[in-house]
Amino acid sequence: MSALPLAFLSPWLLLGLLALPALWLLLRLTPPKPRRVDFPPLRLLLEVAAKRETPVTTPWWLLLLRLGLAALIVLALAKPVWNPSAAAPAGSGPLLVVLDNGWAAAPDWDERVRSAEGAISAAGDAGRGVALVATAEAPRDVGLATADEARERLRVLQPEPYSADRRAHLPSIERFLAANQEAEAIWIADGLGAGEARPFAEALKTALGSRALTVRVDPTGSARGLAGADNTPAAMTVKALRAEAAGPETLRVRALDLRGRALGEADAAFGVGAREATASFEMPVELRNDVARLEIVGAGSAGAVQLLDRRSKRRAVGVVTGATADTAQPLLSPTYYVTRALKPFADVREARGQGASAAVESFIEQKLPVIMLADVGALTETARERLRGWIDAGGVLVRFAGPRLAGAPEDGLSPVRLRQGGRTLGGALAWETPQPLASFAADGPFAPLAVPGDVTVNRQVLAEPDADLPDRVWATLGDGTPLVTGARQNKGMTVLFHVTADTRWSNLPLSGAFVDMLRRVVDLAGSGPAPAEAAPAQGAAAAGQPAQPAPQGPRATLPPTRTLDGFGAFRNPPATAKPAPAEGRAFATFDNPPGLYGPVDAGVAINAMPANAALARLDLSGLDVGVSAVVVAEPTPVAPWLFTAAAIVAIVDGLIVFLLGGGAALLARRRPQAAALALIAATLALALSGQPGFAQQTAQAPAKAADAFDERFALEATLATRFAYVATGDFEVDRIAKAGLEGLTQSLAARTALEPGAPIAIDPAKDELAFFPLIYWPVTADAAQPSPEALARIDAYMKQGGTILFDTRDGFTAGGGGPEGAALKRLLEGLDVPALEPVPRDHVLTKAFYLLDEFPGRYADSPLWVETLPAADEREERPARAGDGVSPVLITGADLAGAWAIGADGQPLFPTSSDERQREIAYRVGVNIVMYTLTGNYKADQVHVPALLERLGQ
Amino acid sequence: MAVRTGLVDPSETRVAPRHEEAALRLAGSLPRLVVAARRASATVVHGLHGRRRSGTGENFWQFRRFSAGEPVGRIDWRRSARDDHLYVREQEWEAAHTVWIWIDRSRSMAFRSSLSPVPKIERAAVLGLALADVLVRGGERVGLLGLTRPTASRNAVETLAQSLGGAGSDDSGLPPAATPIARLSEAILIGDLLAPEAEIAASVGNLAARGGRGHMVMIVDPVEETFPFTGRTEFHDPDASGVRLVAGRAEEWRQGYAERLARHRAALAEIARRHGWSFTIHRTDRPATEPLLALHGRLAEAAA
Repeated sequence: MSALPLAFLSPWLLLGLLALPALWLLLRLTPPKPRRVDFPPLRLLLEVAAKRETPVTTPWWLLLLRLGLAALIVLALAKPVWNPSAAAPAGSGPLLVVLDNGWAAAPDWDERVRSAEGAISAAGDAGRGVALVATAEAPRDVGLATADEARERLRVLQPEPYSADRRAHLPSIERFLAANQEAEAIWIADGLGAGEARPFAEALKTALGSRALTVRVDPTGSARGLAGADNTPAAMTVKALRAEAAGPETLRVRALDLRGRALGEADAAFGVGAREATASFEMPVELRNDVARLEIVGAGSAGAVQLLDRRSKRRAVGVVTGATADTAQPLLSPTYYVTRALKPFADVREARGQGASAAVESFIEQKLPVIMLADVGALTETARERLRGWIDAGGVLVRFAGPRLAGAPEDGLSPVRLRQGGRTLGGALAWETPQPLASFAADGPFAPLAVPGDVTVNRQVLAEPDADLPDRVWATLGDGTPLVTGARQNKGMTVLFHVTADTRWSNLPLSGAFVDMLRRVVDLAGSGPAPAEAAPAQGAAAAGQPAQPAPQGPRATLPPTRTLDGFGAFRNPPATAKPAPAEGRAFATFDNPPGLYGPVDAGVAINAMPANAALARLDLSGLDVGVSAVVVAEPTPVAPWLFTAAAIVAIVDGLIVFLLGGGAALLARRRPQAAALALIAATLALALSGQPGFAQQTAQAPAKAADAFDERFALEATLATRFAYVATGDFEVDRIAKAGLEGLTQSLAARTALEPGAPIAIDPAKDELAFFPLIYWPVTADAAQPSPEALARIDAYMKQGGTILFDTRDGFTAGGGGPEGAALKRLLEGLDVPALEPVPRDHVLTKAFYLLDEFPGRYADSPLWVETLPAADEREERPARAGDGVSPVLITGADLAGAWAIGADGQPLFPTSSDERQREIAYRVGVNIVMYTLTGNYKADQVHVPALLERLGQ
Repeated sequence: MAVRTGLVDPSETRVAPRHEEAALRLAGSLPRLVVAARRASATVVHGLHGRRRSGTGENFWQFRRFSAGEPVGRIDWRRSARDDHLYVREQEWEAAHTVWIWIDRSRSMAFRSSLSPVPKIERAAVLGLALADVLVRGGERVGLLGLTRPTASRNAVETLAQSLGGAGSDDSGLPPAATPIARLSEAILIGDLLAPEAEIAASVGNLAARGGRGHMVMIVDPVEETFPFTGRTEFHDPDASGVRLVAGRAEEWRQGYAERLARHRAALAEIARRHGWSFTIHRTDRPATEPLLALHGRLAEAAA
């Protein structure tokens, strides 16, 4: 209707624009209202005014602004709409919206919903009724609804994971169209020809007659699909499908396992004009067997997902023959037919150049799930045992009869007991004709198979007619004797074909049924019991009527476990999902949405599309329908924007009036106040925002300090070798310890090459201990047990080679049994302290620097305890002994620090219990201890120097 | 925020006892005011009033010590003979004086802006009554020009306030064209004095025709002086209804108005100077003691 995609829903309101000139006049004549003030000296002002008065009119631009404001409001009231929905049929009757919501609609589902919503809204705006039909839902009566109701319904619609069955909806749609003669239809199609699209369109058009049918369909693209996943011997392949024979395109297909982990990716490259491409996963078969799901990356629809079940798994089957391997004549090999029959679905491994028992054992080693023994008679005892264990653990053993088996003793590896010797039918000496295969047991794995009519058996091995024989028979011959028997053993299974694997006894290996039977047997491997939910009576009936070709009636079914939603994601099965037939379905339906059915590792997978599917475009040629794109620009109401603009203009006008009325001058005059106010506000804001931050900082600070590595302490402690003492909290004790270590430090510097730094006080709970070679720990009577963390640190320090010198300082008073001793016991309780002994005479401590006999401190006669040395070798004459490393603990009660302690003037602080000689010895003790901690057993090795020199001299 | 202006309701501006109290409070803060009397000795009108201070008079006031340098003739020898000191006998100063107060009662006096705590009329009434009280306490006779006779009674303030309150408004904005005041009387004109200069000059000339002295106090609202109006403003004259002026941008008028106001004041000052009167401008946002002190000073000035 116009070049602009703009329409007015209430165009008559535009007449209001005619009033604009009148408004202009009005505004022209009405200047802004002045402020009225009383002003007594008006007379004076009037004299000034006489020459200053100028006519006051509204400025032209302000006038224009206000006219624009009025015009905006008038335009907004006229309800303008941008992009008016011209796509909606412009009729007046009800609108039928048919929305495809099969899997092919999932990738652009949101756009489809928007499209439908646009059509519904347009119809609702026009006051038309709306009927909404979703083609993938179950057909139901089409009822007329209001646009709101239809929108409500549309909102809960989801794409379904199967192809829509549009034809099912035709009757109700036709009824609706017949009842509503004015109705028009719009079909938002998924663009695929599947699901009877063309006939549906034709039928829809026929039902509509001359009324308009609009088909919204994406003109260029449609959903991509996956189909026909196949686990071939070389690789796992899957077909990627597209409906358009367009240019080259590459789709990425991803393989995932049951738990959603990606196993691999492969590209499916469409050639020019190709509608099918193959993605090939070349992965090890074990990995391929884990693949449970293939999907097109980013496709987002159930059709782009292929679910794989155990039927897609390739199993490795080991085939062992009892016959002498004669590869020169393969057709005579007993395994030839078995191998050929297994090839399509399993990897066959044959035993080459080794005996049957060795082959069985090697296959068990390889953890094969299925082992076939073709006429293997006797196995070694170990092989039998291993085979039994393997079956119990889940292996499937398939045996074929033959002369060797018939002659072999019972070995417990057959499902039934066999009568010794075979049975020949139709031979010269036999009175019976070869027997055909009569029936499959209804509860056996072969139940779904059709009974082949061309199988005849000449010879067989017979089972002993035990009581449990009927339960184990899977296939019977015409005379009721078993052809195939199977029995479960724990997790595994044994299966016996009562004929040979080659054609000597029957032509079964030549029939197509042989392949199917083997496939089903192999499928049993690694799965639960064969699903048998059919009524037991069915089995009985089948058994009673052996000539019946195949059991009819209700089949075994599998309940849905996990199904796909329309977007291809797993979900719990919806309420509408029904159990699927045990053999699965070629493609998904409403009742059986795609997904996994039955037990996780033994179920079947149903996919959205059959394996041989091909996608095709919806063909609308020759039909009188209007075609438009799915994605149409939505009609956007412009009125809110116009109202917003009008509001902004009104605010601008107010500002202008304020400024014209002297607001600026007022503001300027008030600037200092305003500035002050702003400053206050800013300060307040800053304070408010800063407060929590500061609080946080302060709260975090201690935590940080506790965690952070105290670099300063570390530097202080390590830049010089220092001795540390543990601060006990008792001022006097700590002072003596400090003074004592200072005295020791001085005497060390004076007497030895070691010049230690000033001693340092530490707290084992907080400070790093590893920096100190020796820690002096004066024990006070009230010393508390360190915290577990502190104990752990002390323990680590001792284990890493540190030495702690505990000094109970009670050598004079208690002799080791006083309160300090008890405190020391408490301290050491949590520590891994080695066995201790008083320093033996040959300990390296006695010779580390000075030669010492005793270890006095301020008090004599208090022994020094060290870690017990290993027992001395009697034969060795060594003047000094040392273990490996340094004793982590030294304990004394002699108050060494008291003896070492010097004041600021360098004079000793305390007298010793004896004389100054004892103090000298105490210093020597200190020097020896320090040397011992610093040099370890070096001095002990030194004693060998004469011997070494002597040896070198030679 | 713009300056708010407006006329106060007449019932509020009516002179009432509260003005009296305010005036008495105000006056209480000042010493007694004694109007200077030129040639007081010559003034014998309705008896003399002791000034309760030494001066020329007939009644004994006090003896005081003779101080060196004084004319010897002043020594009261009779008193001096009673002890060893010389005394001077002082007489009480006796003089009589009439002060006429005129308070503008025009409509425009009810004007008050948001910058000022009180309307002009209130400030004028308080000022006038306070002055009256001070004068009466000083022994002067005070009358309201055109309203009351001069009185020296102690309750003069009360009387004046009553007659002022009952007088109603007078929109002329000028003192009544009564007979000129006596030569030795004083006139005090309190009002906004916004009448045309010529009328004011005529009025003052009339009053001063017989040589009476006077003082003009111009009560001004701050708004009238600063002209803080901005923007589009419509001005109304409260005295002459219907006279109005619409200013497009009021701030552009400020300069012209200020010049005109300055000219008006200069003219008033010139009128005062011509008759030997004084002229004071008082803004209502200033304390009322300021003009009272000034008047006090001016009135007492002539005493020396």
